[in-house]
Amino acid sequence: MPYEYLDHEADIGLEATGTRLEEALRDGVQGLLALLVDPETVEPREAVPVQASGDDPGALYVALLNAVLAAVDLHGMFFRDFELTRLERVDDHWVVEGTLYGEPIDLERHAVEIEVKAATYGGLLAEQTDTGWRLRCVLDL
Amino acid sequence: MSTALNLRKIHDYLFEIPPHGKMRVPARLYLDERSLRELLENQSSEEWNAIRQLENVACLPGIVKAALAMADVHPGYGFPIGGVAAFDPKAGGVISVAGVGFDINCGVRCLRTHLTRSDLAGKEEKLADTMYEVIPAGLGSTGELKLSPKEIDRVLREGARYAVRLGYGREEDLEYIEEHGQLSDADPSVVSHTAKQRQMAQVGTLGSGNHYVEVQVVDQIYNARAAEAFGLELGQIVIMLHTGSRALGHQIGTDYLPFLEKATRKYGIEVPDRELVCAPIESPEGQQYFRAVMAGANCAFANRQVLTHLVRQAFWKALRVPETAIETLYEVAHNTVKWEVHEVDGERRRLLVHRKGSTRAFGPGRPELPERYRAVGQPVLVGGTMGTASYILVGTEQGMRETFGTALHGAGRAKSRRQAKRQYPAERIVEQLRKQGIIVRAHGKASISEEAPGAYKDVEHVVDVMCNAGIVARVARLRPIICLKG
Repeated sequence: MPYEYLDHEADIGLEATGTRLEEALRDGVQGLLALLVDPETVEPREAVPVQASGDDPGALYVALLNAVLAAVDLHGMFFRDFELTRLERVDDHWVVEGTLYGEPIDLERHAVEIEVKAATYGGLLAEQTDTGWRLRCVLDL
Repeated sequence: MSTALNLRKIHDYLFEIPPHGKMRVPARLYLDERSLRELLENQSSEEWNAIRQLENVACLPGIVKAALAMADVHPGYGFPIGGVAAFDPKAGGVISVAGVGFDINCGVRCLRTHLTRSDLAGKEEKLADTMYEVIPAGLGSTGELKLSPKEIDRVLREGARYAVRLGYGREEDLEYIEEHGQLSDADPSVVSHTAKQRQMAQVGTLGSGNHYVEVQVVDQIYNARAAEAFGLELGQIVIMLHTGSRALGHQIGTDYLPFLEKATRKYGIEVPDRELVCAPIESPEGQQYFRAVMAGANCAFANRQVLTHLVRQAFWKALRVPETAIETLYEVAHNTVKWEVHEVDGERRRLLVHRKGSTRAFGPGRPELPERYRAVGQPVLVGGTMGTASYILVGTEQGMRETFGTALHGAGRAKSRRQAKRQYPAERIVEQLRKQGIIVRAHGKASISEEAPGAYKDVEHVVDVMCNAGIVARVARLRPIICLKG
């Protein structure tokens, strides 16, 4: 499983793994999208760019998840897929860019799950393992 | 922090962990043997357990007296939920994102009505359907109020007062909201464009998760004098609504987390958990975050004011109940940071009090309280679950001395959302509640199973502990009739 939800009494942990940091970040976003709405009910008809930056991979992970949450409200859309197009270290921070694919919110058709308020630094982890990268944080529900 | 707990029992309802390691003050938990055992048994992760989080809070600079946890304590992020911490700016005290949370100024409003249980008889389904139709709830819902950028700034500056100006609710409502629904230190210029844009269509929406609107009946009165002051009688219908600052508050937290992390480094503050990033209260960074939080808080005040109006609309539409028959009893907030004067060791000090999932519960005589309640103390609104009672309590003198005038905010979660989802299929819960005479309407599939009564601690016990500890006293018990979820 490229992403996994972890037990937390009030909220939920979101852990993503990948052989490369790009993959772990992408899968983390997929895990977040699947929490909000059943992705099977969302058509990837429109593309929305998203970008985030952070001082280190952990902060970058949280910033990217929060940028995705903001995109839902800003565009009034649900998303099914995320494509990561750029990951780069610029001076002293990391930058990530990508594209979200989805469509305008249609509550008749989209199987809404739950609202995520934010990704937090709670339980934040960004580490290189023998097999690649592991990213984790607590989402505030 | 060490994992071995050095818990000292102070009395039957209070445990203390004396300072160890980098703790500057003790950690104190309002629990009895049973609730302590349950807290320890239920913890799903060693890393994010509530007691360790409380010990971490006790390490922050300028913390006064103790890091405190109410009986509904459970793990959060950074701070435990049910946590209270007061900081002295003169002792290097700090302000922290985790001490407020992302749902800034999330809170509960109680509306009392002129209706009794028999007035609703046979009309419950109709009222539930109308509420479902009139009150936007759940992920992706939008409010009827679409604001321009200028108007959003006024919401952030003027809070509930602005909502009243726009025709949502009445001037009298404001008298019964903490700070009259408007915090003057709010500064919209330190709130990001993204935060404001996210909120454009979300004023007057309920949200999801544990947010709700509930129609309840008063089924027990414990304190006749306080009940009379609060305008409560046996058999009376009341309405509770629980929501916060919506996307705007979430984005303020998101924006200020990295901002305060830089400040933490700049001021050389050591934090035991990255989520506890903070800035000295009097630093430019601390001040800026404070002004942003006040703006977020005003947004929550406005949101609950608009929702109050929508509740009144639903009652009018379904039952032809006039707006004037539904009055604001009180509104409390439970994710806040506030300047308050408290007596500590015989000295009056101006402290910045963080309440993360805990409610201000001022005792009698405080000037902050509405005149009508001042002699008895502040109403403290404690939300139960869809299937259990909620309570109206009142603050005490003892609470002022021990907890900076703070009490619990709800039953407190006992099981994780994932556990609850596995254990409580939504259809079964709705059916069980129906048999108990409780109607549930929910927009999201997850809201019902994740918020099932069994996922929470026993509210009766949690309230017992806080009352037996003397921090609050019972006034009335409320039983649910209709519950609207996101």
